[in-house]
Amino acid sequence: MSRTKATGIIERNAGGGELTAALAAIAPHARAAGLGLLLAGPDGRVLHQDPSAAPLFSRYVAAALERGGPVEAALAHRAERIRPDSPPRLWDLVPGVQLCAVPVLQRRQVVAILILAGRRKAFSATEDLRRLCDRLKLDAGWLCQQAARVPSTSSRRLVIESRLFQSLLRDRLRTAALEEELNSLSNQLANAYEELSLIDQISGGMRVNRRRADFFRQACLDVMQVLAVRGMGVILHHEKCRQAPALYGQVSLSDAQLNRLADQLAQLLEQRKGCLLVNSLSTDPAFAWLGEHATRLLAVPLQRGEQVLGGLFALDKTSGDFDSVDTKLLTSIANESAIYLENAVLFGDVHDLMMGLLHSLTSAVDAKDAYTCGHSERVALLSRHLAAKIGLGDSAVERIYMAGLLHDVGKIGVPESVLQKTGRLTPEEFEQMKKHPEIGARILADVRQLEDIIPGVLYHHERYDGRGYPTGLAGRDIPLMGRIICLADCFDAMTSNRTYRRAFPLEVALSEIRRCSGTQFDPALAEVFLRISCDQFRMLLRDHQRQAKRLLELQQILRAS
Amino acid sequence: MDTKTILVADDESHILHVVSLKLRNAGYRVITARDGREALEAARHERPDLLITDYHMPELSGLELCGLLKQDPATAGIPAIMLTARGYFLDPADTDGSGILRMLSKPFSPRQLLATVNEVLASGARAA
Repeated sequence: MSRTKATGIIERNAGGGELTAALAAIAPHARAAGLGLLLAGPDGRVLHQDPSAAPLFSRYVAAALERGGPVEAALAHRAERIRPDSPPRLWDLVPGVQLCAVPVLQRRQVVAILILAGRRKAFSATEDLRRLCDRLKLDAGWLCQQAARVPSTSSRRLVIESRLFQSLLRDRLRTAALEEELNSLSNQLANAYEELSLIDQISGGMRVNRRRADFFRQACLDVMQVLAVRGMGVILHHEKCRQAPALYGQVSLSDAQLNRLADQLAQLLEQRKGCLLVNSLSTDPAFAWLGEHATRLLAVPLQRGEQVLGGLFALDKTSGDFDSVDTKLLTSIANESAIYLENAVLFGDVHDLMMGLLHSLTSAVDAKDAYTCGHSERVALLSRHLAAKIGLGDSAVERIYMAGLLHDVGKIGVPESVLQKTGRLTPEEFEQMKKHPEIGARILADVRQLEDIIPGVLYHHERYDGRGYPTGLAGRDIPLMGRIICLADCFDAMTSNRTYRRAFPLEVALSEIRRCSGTQFDPALAEVFLRISCDQFRMLLRDHQRQAKRLLELQQILRAS
Repeated sequence: MDTKTILVADDESHILHVVSLKLRNAGYRVITARDGREALEAARHERPDLLITDYHMPELSGLELCGLLKQDPATAGIPAIMLTARGYFLDPADTDGSGILRMLSKPFSPRQLLATVNEVLASGARAA
């Protein structure tokens, strides 16, 4: 027999914690009503009694009904006849006391029998009572004294009280069940909140121009917070987005092992087009080799339509096996990430296509003049460098790079005879030459996505002192893009060979920039430009040489045709 | 260490249940209130160690609740974490001196809320 402290109810044959708790909750009411309260199993075996009840009940009635006790057989016989819809049954099993039994139901089944005991009005040491006391080793005189302390209850009242306690107990059990249900729902809700906030966080990071590796790194770290796993990784095997697999967390694999795992996962995810769950890696023929590093694996595909682009995988949940909840969560994350991935791939494709077209266009322009080979690309690089130096944001810097590439696009409209003339230009020829910024601006005006770089093209021949063309704007009225490209353009012109002269040495070009600061150039920009070290210039230009070689080849092809 | 008591005020019962469950499982004693007025009563009687309150509530808003707690020396030191609808920003001028130490926007992560609670209570923060 074990006494459960919390309830004060003696419990044997644990009939469910909620029953014990419910009985403990209603026991004080029974004591107050002068009634004994017992709970028996459907077979009549006493499961619980209230040890705080009056001795008449706790020492005499309970003992009489005990298993192996004097009335066991009779009790069992009567208990078996209790049905879910049985009305209160009066049992005459213990001398001096009347019992009333009602069924306790859970899910329409009789799970227990609630027995109320009431003292009869005539309680005296009859022959029957003495005999029972002997068997229970109780003193009949003492028992009569104890009985005198308990009020008597009529059969009618006992039946009424039984119905009352039956419904009290039923309500208690129902409340307990509801509370349990509520807790379980709250738990599920908490998980749903967690997932929602995780997905929200991950989709917040879905900017297509973000570096892919950064996005997946953050996504893996975020998932690890919610899904307590030892390792979380990503594979991107599809040719559209291929990159090296990555693994974060505490599982350490060598590059070779990680690649092997990535290859296996890529193949399996491709085959299944669904998730892969292995809760015992060491006994799985395909993954036994991974057994010493991890025990469990969950992988889900990064999939768009039928195309598997890659996958996310988790290693070793800290709390045991991976289950359907983990699978569902990781699948949601993978679906979100796959949308990002597809968009990023499309964005990359479009971006590459556009940049390719822009480069072709500028190459075509540069090709019109053998001596300006690679000029546009160098101006773009220098402009980008300068823009970054003055602290412009990433996207502004990229736009300036593009403006640099296209700054001379208007030369398409200038005759080659003018562009390639070795001698001095006549005033008419110079007028033709001076039209190229406006022609360039007109060419770009029809491309909505390039509208914002027009100022760089239109104003790159304006001078800070207002003596430039085409508009004669001065000082800060000249858009910044124009001022930056002007500086880069002049510098590159000076440091390149031209039809009419050889390239100036770098130092000479720089001192020329210094000299023209404030007249031709924005002095603030010139100052930043002059702080760029000669080494940096050389490096910028060297980076560009490979490109230049390709352009030269292109020029030759164009000229030959 | 004695058990810390946390008062959670929100008119949405599902939020109350989720927050209570998370905090109770972490060993805190939790009392709940379904509007600002009830929360004020509860705070005065129970003197919780921390208040977690929704901003939009009937009777008294979370901000008004914090303001009233602030006026009473007995409850002025109760630090608060405020939950707001997503995309809703409170003017820092309004929350200044209201005892609100942290803001979380719904849908919040219960894990993050618990972490925030642990952090605020461990730092022994008093409402500023």
